[in-house]
Parts: sequence; C-alpha cells; structure tokens
Amino acid sequence: MRPAERGLADLDERALVEACLSGQTSAFDVIVERHRRSVYLLCYRFVSNHEDASDLSQDVFLRAYRGLRSFRGQSSLATWLYRIGVNVCLNRVSAKKLLSESIEDRQFVDEKAESAPDRLLKDERGARVRAAIAQLPRKQRATLVLRMYHEMSHQEIADVLGSSVGAVKANFFHALSNLKKMLASEVL
Amino acid sequence: MHLRPDELIDVAEGTRAESSAPHLAECAVCRLQVEELKAMMSAAADVDVPEPSPLFWDHFSARVRQAVDAEGAPRRSFWTWPRVVIPAVSVAVAVLAVAVTLNRGNTSRAVVPLPAVLPAPVAPVASVDLLVDPQTGDDTALTLVAELSSDMDFETAREAGLAARGSAEHAVTHLNGSELRELQRLLQEELARSGA
Repeated sequence: MRPAERGLADLDERALVEACLSGQTSAFDVIVERHRRSVYLLCYRFVSNHEDASDLSQDVFLRAYRGLRSFRGQSSLATWLYRIGVNVCLNRVSAKKLLSESIEDRQFVDEKAESAPDRLLKDERGARVRAAIAQLPRKQRATLVLRMYHEMSHQEIADVLGSSVGAVKANFFHALSNLKKMLASEVL
Repeated sequence: MHLRPDELIDVAEGTRAESSAPHLAECAVCRLQVEELKAMMSAAADVDVPEPSPLFWDHFSARVRQAVDAEGAPRRSFWTWPRVVIPAVSVAVAVLAVAVTLNRGNTSRAVVPLPAVLPAPVAPVASVDLLVDPQTGDDTALTLVAELSSDMDFETAREAGLAARGSAEHAVTHLNGSELRELQRLLQEELARSGA
C-alpha cells in the first residue's frame, strides 16, 4: 500500500465513499482491497470458473464506482456490492452458457492437506453440486449462494434481492428441494 | 397441517426448535423433509471455491484501478438529480408567479382609464418614499415590489383588492361626483392654509 493510502485504510466505509466522491480515487482502491475476495467468491459461485469470476468481479467494482453517488449508507457497503454482484452475475449467466472449468484447469493454491484420492473425490462431488446449483432458477440460486456461502441472514438476502424474508426462506426451501431432485441419482 | 416451507427451513437451520413444532413429532413427511433439507445444506456447504493465488489479487486491483482511471470521476446518479432540480424548479416557479402577478397589475392599470376627477394632492400619498421602509431597505425583493407599485392609482389598487372596504382609499374611490368635488375643495383649502 502506498503512503497516501495508509491514512485511507483507517477510514470507515462512509468516509471512504466520501473520499472517492471528492476525487480521491485511491480511496476506491481501499474499498476494492477490502471487498475483492468476497465479491470474487460470490461471482465464482455463480459461474464456477476463474476467468469469468475475475471478469465479473471487475465489472462489479466498475459498476459500483459508477454508481457510488447512489450509495446512501442505508445498508453496508458489502451488502450493496453483493446486490450489484448478484445482478451482474444473474445477467451474465443467463446470457452466457455456464463454462465450468475442469479440475486440471485450476491453478490455485490448495491450502488444505488432503490425500490425493480424497481430494479427487471431493472435487468430483463438488463439481456435481456446482453443476446442479447452476441449473437452479435465478432467485433460488442467488438465495442459496448468499445463504450457504456468504453466511448472510435471511433479512440481508431479502435486502440484496429486494424481496421479503418469507420469500427468501421459500426460495431457499425450493432451491434445496430442487437440488435434491437433481442429485437424486448421485452418491453424495 | 404440514409445516410451511419457511417453518421447515427454520427447523432445518436450527433457528426454531423441533419441540416448538409439535406437528413434527407426529408427521413423518415433515420430518423427512427436514432431514433432506439438512442433507442438502451439508452437501452444498461442502463445495469449496479454490482460493486464487496471492498474485492474482494484486493483478486484479491493478485491473480495477486501470478501469476506474479510464472511467473518470464518479457521475451524479439519476436519483440524486431531483435533489438539485426540485429546489431550482421551485424557485423558478416562484419567481415566475411573482412576475406574472406584477405584470397583471401593470396591464390592468394600463387599460383602466385614470380617474380625471381625483384630486392631484392625493397621488403623493402612495409615493415611493412612503413605501420604503428604512428597516427593510436592504430587502431587494421588497424594494422591487415597492418600486413597481409606487405609481399605482386607487382604481388599480381597488381592482387588485388592495383598497380594503372601510379604508380611506376605499371611501375615496366610492365617492360620487359632487362628493369628489367637495373633497377636492377641502383639500385645496387645507393646502392653501398650510402654504404648500
């Protein structure tokens, strides 16, 4: 981090947004640094491949930058970014056929020390679940991703998706039920 | 009656105790649904997202910065425009309303013939000097109104509703010919006596 950004790193979300709006674009770098991982993981959950997740994440931040003046601090910056992310991902996955990368294509750091057969089995199982999640209707998929992988409360998900808590729970229920039907023939 | 989807989710997630739903104890269908929901949650939770390499994050931030730099300053949102536009439009409408009202007053004064019988000394009563309040001399809006209305005659004032019934102005404008002549005589007599 550059010296000028050290002071910015101590600012809260609202102050960072204000700094951005007053012309300090380096304040946006701090926002990106704080949220890039969670935004990337959200995107990856939707598209299941690194390249698209990376592009989508960049798109999310660019849209956030463009719309920064509309952020009023009523929700957290993370929730606001998730809302943009869900919209970007749902638009993309409906326009582009999901391209799930093979296990060999991954060039990531695996921090877990697992035996090779266990890892392979888990990867294959994970690939099947990911493929099933990718076939869920849009709102069910978004609800499941936000609930299962981002540990958001039903209320937070309702805020992101612009629906009620009851609708979120119903969507979650149907998402899990559909997942079960799709994976019925699989050994989990 | 079976549990609703939201109730089943609450039980499966553990946010609602099974004991709080007595129906579960006697309904195998609902119990099975709860177990299946738990199994699916467990299966979904077990799906990892591979962590990108640390180098990726630096590269990613650089890409975003490049895109942001190309974008320029954040633009004003569509939703923030009303906050600027509404007050501006309100001020414009208010100014327009004042201008139309004043203009209407001038127009009616132009078409209404001046009463020739009005005594000449009456006119200075509504002179600019009398309308200027020293305490409000700095108020440009009030000064503007005072200047525009300074030469307003009684007839125009009456039509504009400024001469209230019962006022001196109202009485003068409702005198008949002989009464006006008598008033003129009295005023001239008074002026001559005071040496004006």
